[in-house]
Amino acid sequence: MSIDKKPACSVKELSAYNTDQMMTWCGGCGNYGIQNALKRALVLESIVPKDVLMCFDVGCNGNGSDKIGTYTIHGLHGRVLPLAVGAKIANENLHVIAAAGDGATLSEGVNHLIHAVRSDYPILFLHHDNQNYALTTGQASATTPQNCKMNGTPEGVRIDVIDPLDLVFSAKPSFVAQTTSIDVDHMTETIQAGLKHKGFAFIQILQTCPTYNKIMTDEWLLQNTQRVEDLPSYDVHNLTEARAFIEKSKKLPIGVLYKNPRKENFIQTLSHREKYKTTLIEEVKSVDIASHLSTLKG
Amino acid sequence: MERTRIKIVGQSGSGLLTAGDLVAKGLQKLGFQLCADREYQSLIKGGHSCYTINFSKTPVHSLSREADILVAIDKPSLVAYFDTLKEEGIFLHGYEKLANLPDILKKIEEQNIKTVNLPSRKIALENGGTMQMANIILTGMAWKVLGFDYKIIEQLVQEKFSKKKALVEVALKCLKASYDGAETKQNIELPTKKEETILLDGNHAIALGAINAGMRFYATYPMSPSSSILTHVANMSDDTGVVVKQAEDEITAVQMSLGAMFAGTRALTATSGGGYDLMTESVSLAGIIENPLVIVLAQRPGPGTGLPTWTAQGDLNLAIHSSHGEFPRVVIACSDVEDCFDNVQHAFNFAEKYQVPVILLTEKVVCESKMTVSPFTQNKIKIERGLASNLADLKPEDRYRITENGLSTRWLPGSCDTTFFANGDEHDEAGVLDESEKAGDMYAKRMRKLDLIQADLPKPKVYGKEKDADISFVGWGSTKTVMNDIIAQYEKKGVSVNFLHFEVVWPLEEEVLNTFFVQNKNVHLLEGNYEGQFGKKVEACGHTFKNKFLKWNGRPFFLEDVCEYIDNYAKQ
Repeated sequence: MSIDKKPACSVKELSAYNTDQMMTWCGGCGNYGIQNALKRALVLESIVPKDVLMCFDVGCNGNGSDKIGTYTIHGLHGRVLPLAVGAKIANENLHVIAAAGDGATLSEGVNHLIHAVRSDYPILFLHHDNQNYALTTGQASATTPQNCKMNGTPEGVRIDVIDPLDLVFSAKPSFVAQTTSIDVDHMTETIQAGLKHKGFAFIQILQTCPTYNKIMTDEWLLQNTQRVEDLPSYDVHNLTEARAFIEKSKKLPIGVLYKNPRKENFIQTLSHREKYKTTLIEEVKSVDIASHLSTLKG
Repeated sequence: MERTRIKIVGQSGSGLLTAGDLVAKGLQKLGFQLCADREYQSLIKGGHSCYTINFSKTPVHSLSREADILVAIDKPSLVAYFDTLKEEGIFLHGYEKLANLPDILKKIEEQNIKTVNLPSRKIALENGGTMQMANIILTGMAWKVLGFDYKIIEQLVQEKFSKKKALVEVALKCLKASYDGAETKQNIELPTKKEETILLDGNHAIALGAINAGMRFYATYPMSPSSSILTHVANMSDDTGVVVKQAEDEITAVQMSLGAMFAGTRALTATSGGGYDLMTESVSLAGIIENPLVIVLAQRPGPGTGLPTWTAQGDLNLAIHSSHGEFPRVVIACSDVEDCFDNVQHAFNFAEKYQVPVILLTEKVVCESKMTVSPFTQNKIKIERGLASNLADLKPEDRYRITENGLSTRWLPGSCDTTFFANGDEHDEAGVLDESEKAGDMYAKRMRKLDLIQADLPKPKVYGKEKDADISFVGWGSTKTVMNDIIAQYEKKGVSVNFLHFEVVWPLEEEVLNTFFVQNKNVHLLEGNYEGQFGKKVEACGHTFKNKFLKWNGRPFFLEDVCEYIDNYAKQ
């Protein structure tokens, strides 16, 4: 992949998304690249900061919540998905983006992930998977490799890991992608694809954590990933094949792994709302209940 | 006129709800005022349940423990509820083997109880029905015993079964046979002046009030006794366009609600104690990011699963003190159907105007008691959003500007080029994490809103005479209903009773409270929990109760309870 193919992203447009807050991530942290790619993707999709609602979970990624100049909410640990969904249901015109780490997504709030996929809420979700609880100083998460010695598990975790892609696929998603924090261009493209998707866009970001994750390093990611776009026979619209491919692939596949543009998202399933052209925020006014009261009369 | 008290009892699944609703609706049609409640167990089939109706020509606010007329659909309920029938009461049943119940027969004789019996099984089968028709047969009998016009109950049964064509004919035959077979035992004067009423319960009123107040999103997870709000909102959604989401858990429900309010619509969630426990972290988040949030907390006895289908006032401390950290909040308690309709609207206004969480407390007896009330006046309570009217020249720091009264400008995401950052971490005016000593300034800014809120809240109200009552009570929530009836009842006896009732229970209004204690010398607490939670807040203001009347067994305060308390206390 070469950078010169990419459309230009002007400094001025990008700077609209920047704030003057000091970065507080460790040197080499994957979050720098992720936030950079996110800002670029927003600019390239011609989305202005005023139309974006960023919803951050608690964790290292959440420490980036003051470093992006959008409408932003920094909520509770594990609960960012329903928070973001509530906002999106209220105002469909907002581009609602939720970000959370592997601790929040696969442990504290794993129920929300399953139901968000199942319900196909029309938001973009960035899963920052650095395979550990970094902000609380490197405890094991559900994606920490087996037997890897971590803070709190000096002998290593013996139980099986949760495979986020497998879990998401089991809930019949409409959009699944995987990318890595070491490749800003690839992340940008992937996030752009997610922004364009009309349902729940799940993006798994393999994120380096130079402080606590000594296995999934930049080099490791370079050697162990493979772009599905480079595979001529890969069918991005076939869920069964996508799952089978991921299972047998020696390298971790990256790119858009599956999409189903025809699936009805949650808002589209609300048939009683078809006649409404407005968002819920425009409808806050007294609704006449006279017909309902009359059924209660003697 | 005295009230007439009917109890219709039957197993869950016996159709007792239908029978109760038919009788209640019929009484409403005749122009009576009524209050009705269901006692039932946490199961779908079996057990025993009771549908109590108290009616009169004058307003009825609360329920009596005792019944004048007991209508038993089946044997288990007959046995369970027989003792609630007063001496010389009327006992209606369709049971063919009463001879096998010697204890009941003995009581019937000793207490001079009038029995009305028709073989319900036989009537049902003869008219082409099954035993499931027993409820209709008992309804027909009850209507005749009360001495009311057949046409009214006939029409209601017809409407009830209108969607089940095969059943309607059978039901009407059974109704006719049982009405004709029974004889009138009561001579009840009909109301001459028929005031138009609506008949509904508290949860239905909350649903209607919220819709009228512009609620556009309802997210919840079912939990008794809050669940029927979901039913009502969902049933009306075709017409209202409200988005209804039964979420995967209570945390989801409250987070969705919070997110929707953040974006700028009006959203509601409802739960009971256990579900509220799960929501508390989110309440705290709403506190620090100064986001409006309205949660209905429908009380039932705890701890744990407690008594899921019974009533309590045990979650007052939970509503007031739940969630980590300190932040301003409003706790409003609903007492009856009309309060439910009004208070959910006030709750939205307070939440939005002051950017705080508001907890709307109800109780099972409030949620599910049906009452006849005057048809609600729409738009009586103006919608107040508390949003910035001028979006020009806003700065990101305005959203959390440290102001004298604690209130900062609120605008909606997407409405203005000036974005803002709502941070669940302690923050400066720009929303940025602030760990300096100045972090305390933002903390204090939020807390200052309490004074502003306090000044705007409705004052507690004294029912009965203002001062020098023979006996006085202080309470909140549903105790207002029983005290309304008690005050009127004792006035006739020449005993003055008054009652200081708090609709807003937090922040606590002290001025009216102080005056009440100064002007009344014999003040008692009336509260539905073991500890007297509200009483302790009153005591913390330096007041002393003569005595406390507390109840925590899942039942509401019945009229008899308070009468006995007053009479006993008067003797001392």
